[in-house]
Amino acid sequence: MKILVLNCGSSSIKYKLFDMKSNGVIAQGGVEKIGMKGSFLKLTLPGGQKVQLEGEILEHRAGIEYIFGVLLSEKYGCIRSLDEIDAVGHRVVHGGERFNTSVLITEEVIEMLKECIELAPLHNPPNLKGIYAIQELLPHTPQVSVFDTAFHQTMPDYAYVYGLPYSLYEKYGIRRYGFHGTSHRYVSKRACEFLNVPYESQRIITAHIGNGVSITAIKNGKSMDTSMGMTPVEGLMMGTRSGDLDPGVISYIMEKEHMSASGMSTLLNKFSGVLGVSGLSSDMREINAGIKENNPRAILALKTYDYRIKKYIGAYSAVLGGVDILVFTGGVGENQWTTRSAVCKDMEYMGIELDEELNRSARAKEVVISKPTSKVKVLIIPTDEELTIAKDTMKILEK
Amino acid sequence: MSELIIEPIEKYGLNISHEKKALFSRVGVVGAGKEGRTIISLTASAGMDVVFMDESQERIDFVFEELNRVMDQKISKWGLTQSEKKVIMNRITPTLSYDDFAGCDLVIECTRYSESGRRSTPIRKNIFKILDDSLEPDAIIATNGPTVIISELAADLVHKERCVSLYFPVSHPDARILEIVKGMYTSEEVYNKMEIFAQLINYRPHRINESNGNVSIRLLTTMLNEACQMLLERVSSMESIEETFTIIYGQRYGVFRLADIIGIERIVTIMEAMFNDFGEKHYKPNPLLWKLYRSNQLGIRTGKGFYIYDENGNVISENRSLFN
Repeated sequence: MKILVLNCGSSSIKYKLFDMKSNGVIAQGGVEKIGMKGSFLKLTLPGGQKVQLEGEILEHRAGIEYIFGVLLSEKYGCIRSLDEIDAVGHRVVHGGERFNTSVLITEEVIEMLKECIELAPLHNPPNLKGIYAIQELLPHTPQVSVFDTAFHQTMPDYAYVYGLPYSLYEKYGIRRYGFHGTSHRYVSKRACEFLNVPYESQRIITAHIGNGVSITAIKNGKSMDTSMGMTPVEGLMMGTRSGDLDPGVISYIMEKEHMSASGMSTLLNKFSGVLGVSGLSSDMREINAGIKENNPRAILALKTYDYRIKKYIGAYSAVLGGVDILVFTGGVGENQWTTRSAVCKDMEYMGIELDEELNRSARAKEVVISKPTSKVKVLIIPTDEELTIAKDTMKILEK
Repeated sequence: MSELIIEPIEKYGLNISHEKKALFSRVGVVGAGKEGRTIISLTASAGMDVVFMDESQERIDFVFEELNRVMDQKISKWGLTQSEKKVIMNRITPTLSYDDFAGCDLVIECTRYSESGRRSTPIRKNIFKILDDSLEPDAIIATNGPTVIISELAADLVHKERCVSLYFPVSHPDARILEIVKGMYTSEEVYNKMEIFAQLINYRPHRINESNGNVSIRLLTTMLNEACQMLLERVSSMESIEETFTIIYGQRYGVFRLADIIGIERIVTIMEAMFNDFGEKHYKPNPLLWKLYRSNQLGIRTGKGFYIYDENGNVISENRSLFN
């Protein structure tokens, strides 16, 4: 069985084609700059060779057509007919309160997805475009929608409600939803498999640390709390997002700088976080280079970034009544030992004892990095959202 | 691993969709005054290649300075990143010759005398003629402005149906409505393409049937005339009238401030045209507007209008000389 996984962003489409027999990726790549000058499709061949196909790609549908064209091509392809694609799994950002699990896409589901646009005006419309394109191009192929928010729908009400007038929740659905759900679900399950412990009876904290950062508290296989809120700006400090902030600051800045709501949103989403504090970049490589040169703002940015993660782990340990497993994942979580080290420093009181040597040498592979005596098992589990989407898609088809 | 292989994408198409020509991948602008520059940065920001023409190398240098300055201002206000700016600036090419508009599927005429701010119909007609002769027959020729002109500019051309008039409101950066004026000859196809253009630059398209002042300016001028009259009659102070507009009616700027932003010379010209067309007295420019116009106090552009401005366009004070 072959499953195509699509992740449609506002001007990009990422794709991976899985052969579910082996869970292996048989084709992958992405389209970028859709609707803009200089659009292209970039793919990585099985041997690692990268190919860039350049030309006008005006809309998502055209981008998907080119993806199919490449998959079918003699030169770079791996299938003979589009019928070989048994199903398409989509990453959909916001499922609101409607979806607590992945679903087969039907007309009814599409209607419900449209209702979720208001909650994620930037992310959901391109997701829908991808779904429509497949409906047109592969009308008989089943499609499945896997939501970033679904895993967190188990959060109890006291964790998701904001301290705002309740009428705003009733009117607009303003509450905490959380994101990166597919990743948190995958790495937490995978960690239990790796440690050979039952998923249903663990207290797990998963830290997805990349350009976007979120932490989730998972008890007995259920998300109990997560750091992102109604939008992905809440919680930890990120590459360019501020994370938690005194709401009073927002109205203060708007007044002082004569900013509109949309300007403020850009400030919080694109000019804050590591980029904003360091004044250098949101890219950890550049921050680390800055730290080597003793750039005080780069040092401050990374300290703040690490500190916030630590703070949330403390909070979620309290939420869970102790921790059995702590998982690091995401670009930085998997690769940057200094952050893992800073986060786990002086946490012996709660049972976290990091093996510094193991930690230093570990990069982007499944590995335990705590000492054998550590009560909390600390692991690195590289995330694989696409594989999770493919597996969900297969499971739904088998039903 | 060997280097990145780069190939054109076309041969990987599936031919399932109807083939579409990439619309608006190259846009031309004739005359890079304030409106022209706004259009240049809007279109380049939307990912289009822009060729602009002005009368001399000095003007071109000035235009680049201004584009840089405005983008730096945006960066300091967190509206743009340095790398975005670089990409946008790279899409902008200057020229002194009409030949460089070859391959454009839209050319927008925005000429205006830099001294008086007036526009010359014979010059604009001539530009339209040159563009009509040199562009591909399906390329669109547009002019920018809220006055009735497009049918006149199009009248002598071979491909009249490709002419359309646009008005980009300048009142504030969030005023993202594009008034698309369909003239006598404008074809429905051209109008529809312009709606797509509006969406590409993230503007909401409004369809206007050729009429002086369009909707946006016609609404404002009558309000402005009334405000001027109240000032003359000493009904209330300028500040109070402005606050009525901003606070009671929820506008971002007062009506006098808006007049300064748009430019007194433009308002007077349009009002004269509307008065000629419609004959209604309330379109006749109020004596206060004439006073400003004749003394070349034309608003932010000249540093003086209803208000006095510093070089960055910030208000210093009301213009007291109005009442002498």
